[in-house]
Amino acid sequence: MAKLEAFERPELGEKSYRHRLESGLDVVVIPRPGFKKTFATFATRYGSIDNHFRVPGSDLEMKVPDGIAHFLEHKMFEKQDGGDVFDDFARLGASSNAYTDYTSTTFLFSTTSEVSANLEVLLDFVQRPYFTEDNVEKEKGIIEQEIRMYLDMPGDRLHSNLMRALYHYHPARIDIAGTVESIRAITPDDLYRCHNTFYHPGNMLVLVIGDVDPQAVADQVVHNQQNKQFLRQGDIVRIYPPEPEVVKERRVEQPMPVAAPLFMMGYKDHAAGMTGPAWLRHEIVLGLMWSMLLGRSSALFTDLYQAGLINDRFSARYSGTDTFGFSNLGGETPDPKRLEAVLTERLAQEPLTEEALERLKKREMGDFLGLFQNPEDLAYAFNHFYFRGIDLYSYVDVVASVRLRDIEEARARHLVEDSRALSLIVPAQSAPGA
Amino acid sequence: MTSGGYTEDGFVGEFQNGIGWYCYPTPRFKTITLHAFWINELTPQDAAKGALLPHVLRRGTRRWPSLVAIERELEELYGASFRAEVGKVADKQLLSMHLEVINGRFLPGHPDTLRQALDFLSEVSSDPHLGPDGFDPGIVQQEKILLKRQIQALINDKGQYAMSRLVEILADGRRFGLRKLGTIADVENITGSELLDYYQSVKTTLPSLLFVVGDVDPSRIEDYVHKQWQGFRQPLTPIIPFVPRHDGQEVIERQAVRQGKVNMGFGTGISAADPQYPALMMYAGVLGGFPHSKLFVNVREKHSLAYYAFARLDAPLALMVIGAGIEFDDYSAVRRIIDQQLEAMQAGAISAEEMAFTLKAFCNDILSEEDSPSQIVGRQLEHVLVGNGMTGRRLMQALERVTISDIQAVAEKIRLDTVHFLTADGEGQGEAQDG
Repeated sequence: MAKLEAFERPELGEKSYRHRLESGLDVVVIPRPGFKKTFATFATRYGSIDNHFRVPGSDLEMKVPDGIAHFLEHKMFEKQDGGDVFDDFARLGASSNAYTDYTSTTFLFSTTSEVSANLEVLLDFVQRPYFTEDNVEKEKGIIEQEIRMYLDMPGDRLHSNLMRALYHYHPARIDIAGTVESIRAITPDDLYRCHNTFYHPGNMLVLVIGDVDPQAVADQVVHNQQNKQFLRQGDIVRIYPPEPEVVKERRVEQPMPVAAPLFMMGYKDHAAGMTGPAWLRHEIVLGLMWSMLLGRSSALFTDLYQAGLINDRFSARYSGTDTFGFSNLGGETPDPKRLEAVLTERLAQEPLTEEALERLKKREMGDFLGLFQNPEDLAYAFNHFYFRGIDLYSYVDVVASVRLRDIEEARARHLVEDSRALSLIVPAQSAPGA
Repeated sequence: MTSGGYTEDGFVGEFQNGIGWYCYPTPRFKTITLHAFWINELTPQDAAKGALLPHVLRRGTRRWPSLVAIERELEELYGASFRAEVGKVADKQLLSMHLEVINGRFLPGHPDTLRQALDFLSEVSSDPHLGPDGFDPGIVQQEKILLKRQIQALINDKGQYAMSRLVEILADGRRFGLRKLGTIADVENITGSELLDYYQSVKTTLPSLLFVVGDVDPSRIEDYVHKQWQGFRQPLTPIIPFVPRHDGQEVIERQAVRQGKVNMGFGTGISAADPQYPALMMYAGVLGGFPHSKLFVNVREKHSLAYYAFARLDAPLALMVIGAGIEFDDYSAVRRIIDQQLEAMQAGAISAEEMAFTLKAFCNDILSEEDSPSQIVGRQLEHVLVGNGMTGRRLMQALERVTISDIQAVAEKIRLDTVHFLTADGEGQGEAQDG
C-alpha cells in the first residue's frame, strides 16, 4: 500500500492526502464527501514560457517554436490506433479537456461514474505520445482557427498587447497559443523532445477531487506507474533572457471593431523570482493592495465609477510566477486619457487604512473557503500553488499575518513609473454604431 | 470508488399566488446561495426599464445609502458575492438578485450568515435609497449611461454578437427576439419617476421567486418569503415556443473580423415539456453536443475546418442552433458537411457507440449539476418557467429509452429557418499591428 501523508485544517472542514512516488510524481487527493462528480487533473509544470531549455543529462540547448506547449497539449489526445482520447473518456461517461497557460499544462476529466477506469485513461494518454508528420500537419488547421478566434476577441488582444509592451525579451510576451506562422514550423521531433523533457513524472502532479477513497487512488497510481519505464532525469534547466526593469513600450494601441475604448494598464514586477512562502506572501500582499486601492469599496473605484470613467467590470489584480510577475488593471472607458491621468495621480496617494485591510482580509478568507466547493477552481489553485512549492492551506495564515506596513512597502516598490505600460483597443472607423 | 452512499437531494417549496420559494438543503456546500427573481414579459415598453432597475437598486438602500456602504457590508460578510442583473429566458425578462455567502459554520465565531444574507436581500430589493423625488437623479443618469454603453459593447464579443443577430432575425418581430437590455433609445427616454413607478409595479405585481441552496432549514426560507412578499402576484404565463417563419434564408453580415462565424437556427417543434423532448436531447447530443458528436468529429477532426462546432438547444423556446468558427473561404464546404450530418441524422445513420456515448455524457452532465449551486438553481428555474418537463433521474431514464427511430421522428420535425454568416468586410480583414 502506498503510504499517505495527511494534511488537515479542521476549522475549515478540510483534509487532504499526498503520496510521492519514487519517480518524483506526486498524487494528491482532496475528498469531497457527498459530491457526485469526481474531477481529476494530471498537470505538468510546462507552459508557453518554457521555450528555451537545456535537455536534462546533456549540454544540448533547445529553442522551440512559440506556441508549442499548447500544440503539444492538443496532440496528446491522438492515439496510435487512429482513435481519439475523447472517445475513451466518452465510453466511460466522463468529459475531458485540457488547458495550457504560461507555466503549466493541465489534462483533466470530470465524471460521475467509473472513476478508476477514467483515471487509468488519464494516466496513460498523457504519458503515451504519438506524433506523425500527418497528424501534426492536420492539427495546424484547427489551432489556426483557435488563434484566429482569439484575434477577434478584444479583451484577449488587450492583454496580449500589454504583455508585449511590458516585456522586451521574457517569453511572457508571446501569446500562449503562438501565432499562425510560428505553429507552422512545429515538427513531430520538436514535440517528442518537449514531451520527453517536461512530461517526466518528476515534473508532474496527479490531483483527484471528489467522493473517493484516497488510499485506493494512490494505490492505483502506483500500480499504473509500475508498468512504465522512465529514465532518471536530472533537473530541467529553463533559460530565460535577462529582462530590463523598464518597459519595452509605454503605450500600445490597436483599432478593432469595438464600441468604446478598452483600457489596460500594467506594472511589471521587479521583485518576481521568488518561490515558496515568500512568493505566496508577495502575491497576497499585492492582491490586498489592489483591493484596497481599486476594489469596489474603495474611494478611487467609486469616484471613477460615478464620473462614468469605468463600469462595474473594471478590475485590478496581480499575477505572478517564479520568473515574471505583473499587475494589470482595466476595463472599458470612454476617456482613456483622463482615466490614465486620474489613476497615475491617485494610486500613489490614496490613504491605506487598517480598517479597510481588516475588512478585505475577511473577504479574502471568504473567497478562499468558497474555492473548496468548486472542484475546477480548487484544482486550478492547487496546481498553481503546488508547482511553486506552496501549501494551499497556509493561505489563510499568510492572509492573517499581513500588516498595513507590508501594503505600504509593496505600493512604493511596485507602482514605479518606468515599469508601467498602457494597452488600448480603440474603435476602428469601420465599426458599426461607432 | 465512491465512499458511502448519498441521499437524493432535492428542492422543497411551493409556488402559489404568483409567489414561490424553493429550498435545496444539503451539507455538501460551504456557501449558502440565494437567488431571487422577478419575472416579467419581455416587451419593447419595459425591457430597458427592467435592465436599468437592478443597477439602480444596487446603488444604495436606506440603511446603506451608497455603493461604498453596500460594498463594505458585503466585504464584512466575508466577501459575499452579490449581483443584481437582468436575464432572459425565451420571451421572459428576469430581474434577479444573486447572493452567495459563506456558511457561518466555517467562520470564526459561527455567525448566522443566512440571516444576514436574507436581511441584505430585503434591504436591496424593498428598501432603496430614495430622496424627495424618488431615485437619486444623478445615480439614474450614471446608470443610464453605463447601460447604453453596455448595449453598444455587444459588438465586442463576436460569438455572442453573431448569435444574438441570428435570434433577432429568426424572431422577425416576435418578443423572444428582443434584447434583454432594451435599446439605446428606450434607455435614453426613461425618467426617474417612470422608473419609480415601474419599480413599484414590479415589486407588487410580478411573479416572484426565491431559490436557496445550502445547509439551511427550509422553514426559515418559507417564513421569510411569507413575511417579505405578502399578498398576490400575477401568475406565470406560458412561454410561447418558436415556430419558423423562414425557409432556410441566408443572411450575410460583414465586419472587420479575422474569423467567420456561421450560426444556423432551427425550429424543433418540441419544447422541454413535450414527451418527445428526451429524443430531441439525444438528437442534438449525437449531432453536436460533445467532442464525440458528428459536427465536432467531421467539421473539426476530419476536415480541420474549425476549432469549435456545436449544436445546442434552447429548450424553453424549442429552438436549436448550430454554430462554428471558420475560415471565410470555407463557408460552402462547412455548410455542405453540416448538411451531410443533418441528413445522416434523418436517415438514422447513428452508431450504437454514438448513442451510448451521448447517453453517458448527458447522465454525467445531469448528475454533475448537483455539485453546483448555480446549476441547481438554473435547472429548477427553467422547470418552473416551462411549467413541466423532466429533470434528474427521471430524465436520465427517459433518455435511456430513446431509440434511433425516436431520433428520426424528431429529425422529421427539424426545420432550418435562418443561416447567419458573420464574415470579413473585404478591406484588410481587420489586419492590425499584431504579429
